[in-house]
Amino acid sequence: MVELLVILISAVFVNNFVLARFLGICPFLGVSKKVETAIGMGMAVIFVLTVASVVTWFIQYLVLIPFGIEYLQTIAFILVIASLVQLVEMVIQKTSPVLYQSLGIFLPLITTNCAVLGVAVLNIQKSYSFIESVVFSLGAGLGFTLAMVLFAGLRERLELCPVPQSFRGTAIALVTAGLLSLAFMGFAGLVKG
Amino acid sequence: MLAAVLSIGGIGLVAAAALGLAAKKFAVEVDPRELAILEALPGANCGACGYPGCAGYAKAVAEGTISPNLCTPGGADTVEAIAKIMGIEAITAEPQVAVVLCQGDNRKATQKYRYLGLTDCNAAQKIADGPKTCPGGCLGMGSCQRACPFGAIEMTPEGLAVISREKCTGCTKCVAVCPRQVIKMTPLEAVTHVLCNSHDKGAAVRKYCQVGCIACQICKKTAPEAYMIEDFLARVEYPQHAQAVAAVEKCPTKCIRDFSSGYPEGSSFAPPTVPVAKDNAA
Amino acid sequence: MNLKTFAGGLHPPDNKKWSADKPIELCPLPEELIIPAAQHIGAPAEICVAVGDTVKKGQMIAQAKGFVSVPIHASTSGEVIAIEPRLHPMGRPLPAVVIKPDGQDQWDDSLKPNDPEQLDSETLKSLIRDAGIVGMGGATFPTHVKLSPPEGKTIDTLILNGVECEPYLTADHRLMLEQSERLIDGIRILRKILGVKDTIIGIEANKPDAIEHLNKECAPHQIQIQPLKVQYPQGAEKQLIDACTSRQVPSGGLPMDCGVVVQNVGTCAAISDAVRLGRPLVERVATVTGPGIKEPKNLLVAVGTPLQHLVDQCGGLNGEPAKIIMGGPMMGQAQLSLEVPAIRGTSGLLIFREPDLQVRPAGPCIRCGRCVSVCPIHLQPTTIAAYARLDLIDEAEHYNALDCIECGCCTYICPAALPLVQSIRHAKGGIMAKRRKL
Repeated sequence: MVELLVILISAVFVNNFVLARFLGICPFLGVSKKVETAIGMGMAVIFVLTVASVVTWFIQYLVLIPFGIEYLQTIAFILVIASLVQLVEMVIQKTSPVLYQSLGIFLPLITTNCAVLGVAVLNIQKSYSFIESVVFSLGAGLGFTLAMVLFAGLRERLELCPVPQSFRGTAIALVTAGLLSLAFMGFAGLVKG
Repeated sequence: MLAAVLSIGGIGLVAAAALGLAAKKFAVEVDPRELAILEALPGANCGACGYPGCAGYAKAVAEGTISPNLCTPGGADTVEAIAKIMGIEAITAEPQVAVVLCQGDNRKATQKYRYLGLTDCNAAQKIADGPKTCPGGCLGMGSCQRACPFGAIEMTPEGLAVISREKCTGCTKCVAVCPRQVIKMTPLEAVTHVLCNSHDKGAAVRKYCQVGCIACQICKKTAPEAYMIEDFLARVEYPQHAQAVAAVEKCPTKCIRDFSSGYPEGSSFAPPTVPVAKDNAA
Repeated sequence: MNLKTFAGGLHPPDNKKWSADKPIELCPLPEELIIPAAQHIGAPAEICVAVGDTVKKGQMIAQAKGFVSVPIHASTSGEVIAIEPRLHPMGRPLPAVVIKPDGQDQWDDSLKPNDPEQLDSETLKSLIRDAGIVGMGGATFPTHVKLSPPEGKTIDTLILNGVECEPYLTADHRLMLEQSERLIDGIRILRKILGVKDTIIGIEANKPDAIEHLNKECAPHQIQIQPLKVQYPQGAEKQLIDACTSRQVPSGGLPMDCGVVVQNVGTCAAISDAVRLGRPLVERVATVTGPGIKEPKNLLVAVGTPLQHLVDQCGGLNGEPAKIIMGGPMMGQAQLSLEVPAIRGTSGLLIFREPDLQVRPAGPCIRCGRCVSVCPIHLQPTTIAAYARLDLIDEAEHYNALDCIECGCCTYICPAALPLVQSIRHAKGGIMAKRRKL
């Protein structure tokens, strides 16, 4: 039980996927202009991450390893992730057209989000059991959402400030992201691993 | 080898089946023409058409009830493209550009008080009707420049708004935001304008502006069909704009400007050579 | 003294010593009186005299238009020499009646004295309305409307505003010292109209002589004197009610929503004249002061007297004026020239010269939070102003821009010299314009 909690806390705070592991930067910068869009993207990523983890875990231990075709891991995982993202796209387009419009190109780009493939592969690398990998991917998704929502809040505030001309737009956003990452370094040493 | 092919193939088939089912369950009707129209629009989301953004206008046009020529920034090419997609006639309106009818910058026009507040024309106008003595002149605080989605407006160093005839797409956002209604929409082909917006009598105008219209009627005498004097202010009659240029030299206060020879003093825009035939101005 | 107060606010130097001990002096009539038709909140009055007419003091020269409006009266007897737009304290020419005094200063014969004990509440209110009584603290809200709460709102407390929290102004202070009988008579009339018993006069602790004097005078009348901590804006309605009764006026609400009616002491004295003597509001006490004035004074001014005339009565200007303020320095209105007339809401005239001003260019907001800590309504001026600058009206409304009382504490304290009140007003204007469109 405690190990599961450690995995969760580690994934959300200590080794935050965006701010510590530096994965998933694309939507982090692209969809964090407004807090509502960031929350929407976060929910989509949590869903894709968790389901992809479950499915890929089963594929690894029930198909790839028994048949000795571990070398097909990357292709198989990407296939699964791409299909899941396509499913999420269809659901969002139907249920919330506004969110679909505001996410734009970044929704299909969840497929190439290195955080998603990263979690799937890490589950295997760390030899996590089924429960452990579910908790790990849930934590990764939560950490991703946390980082994005925090960043979106900061960017909304930045909109109101008279930023010097040379810093406007992406420049000040990257500076802020760096500072946020620095802040999250404060969690280092909280848990081992 | 076989295992590899079968496994990947298997995963693919399962995924395809699941997606096929989902596609049926979560199907969304989208008119392909709407997407094509959205492609053809400039994408500036300026709202000149009166709809919420380009997506809103594309939807309305695809529904078949709205005319395709409401997108002024898109210009003639956009109207034609939309008309082709919808399979109807393209009727383009005459292209229009916005002009600031004033040349009274801080050196040429007086102020009635020293304004120390928000640099916004509408905010300044609320305080004793604005710091400029002239009741109709440009306040020079840049509200129009901020409202323009195409970056077509510049503020001269002496506090006058000038609109580039090449960059202006006719979306009218600047006209709506100006508290003094000193910006007017004019035909693109008309290069001569009376740059004054004050209806005060000549003697009063003289007191607060060096380049204001004093309604001396000389322009009307030089080119009778091209000018109209109303309420102590001369205006170019735009259908007859070609004859108006003859009076530019004669005007005693130099308030009539022929834009083909250049923009008002202080502007950084290069003089437009001839009225520019516009492609997608965004 | 048991000093009460409210949360927030600040304490600018009160600069009242220049005129606090100067007794009220009658300001002689000028060459011409310029009486505008718009002197109050609500619809401007409609002028009902013609050029060439002879008028008597107190005669109606413009009729009230609608319920939230009052008539305007001639401030002296004389001849109407013009009816034309004249520069108004609001900063633009507005319709005004110009009267040349005939030197007789004769009251209109039709004005009759009354005994308020014999009259009922409705008659008293219509006497107040016909006399053109408006809030004389500067807000100029028609008093008869304030005294007519709608069905369902019960009033149990009357508070008199003797706070005069604006720096420099001492008109109400002198009125409380020198004319307390008029004040107490007005209170009794108001108590009859509203049917209340509890009466409190709120006075800031920087007027100990007024507190002492009124304590003596009011003792037999069951009027409580409440000394208040010197804190701006103690004289604002919501803050005064909070300090005196610990009741909070709800956001978007009015004092009547918590059972209170507030009246300025000057308005109260004018009510006494209107009912007992039948005399309309044609004159008021105004403090003429500031470093730009040679001899600061408290003058009894006829409505319509040009500000230049007031300056002349006070020894003239003490150098080139750079800023002319009608009212107090926190919430008063800057004027374009001294030819503007004093009106019913003119509580003071302040003249400042260039070296007296501290003009600094506005800098970027450094998010120090001082404006948030001084705001008496507990708003976030920095956030509302930031949204207002970008014309994001919905977000400004979300931060309760409409609750702002425009007291000026935020602008005063801002180290970056940002025009916060102007930005918030800009947001308010945008919100009201949007509501009108819907």
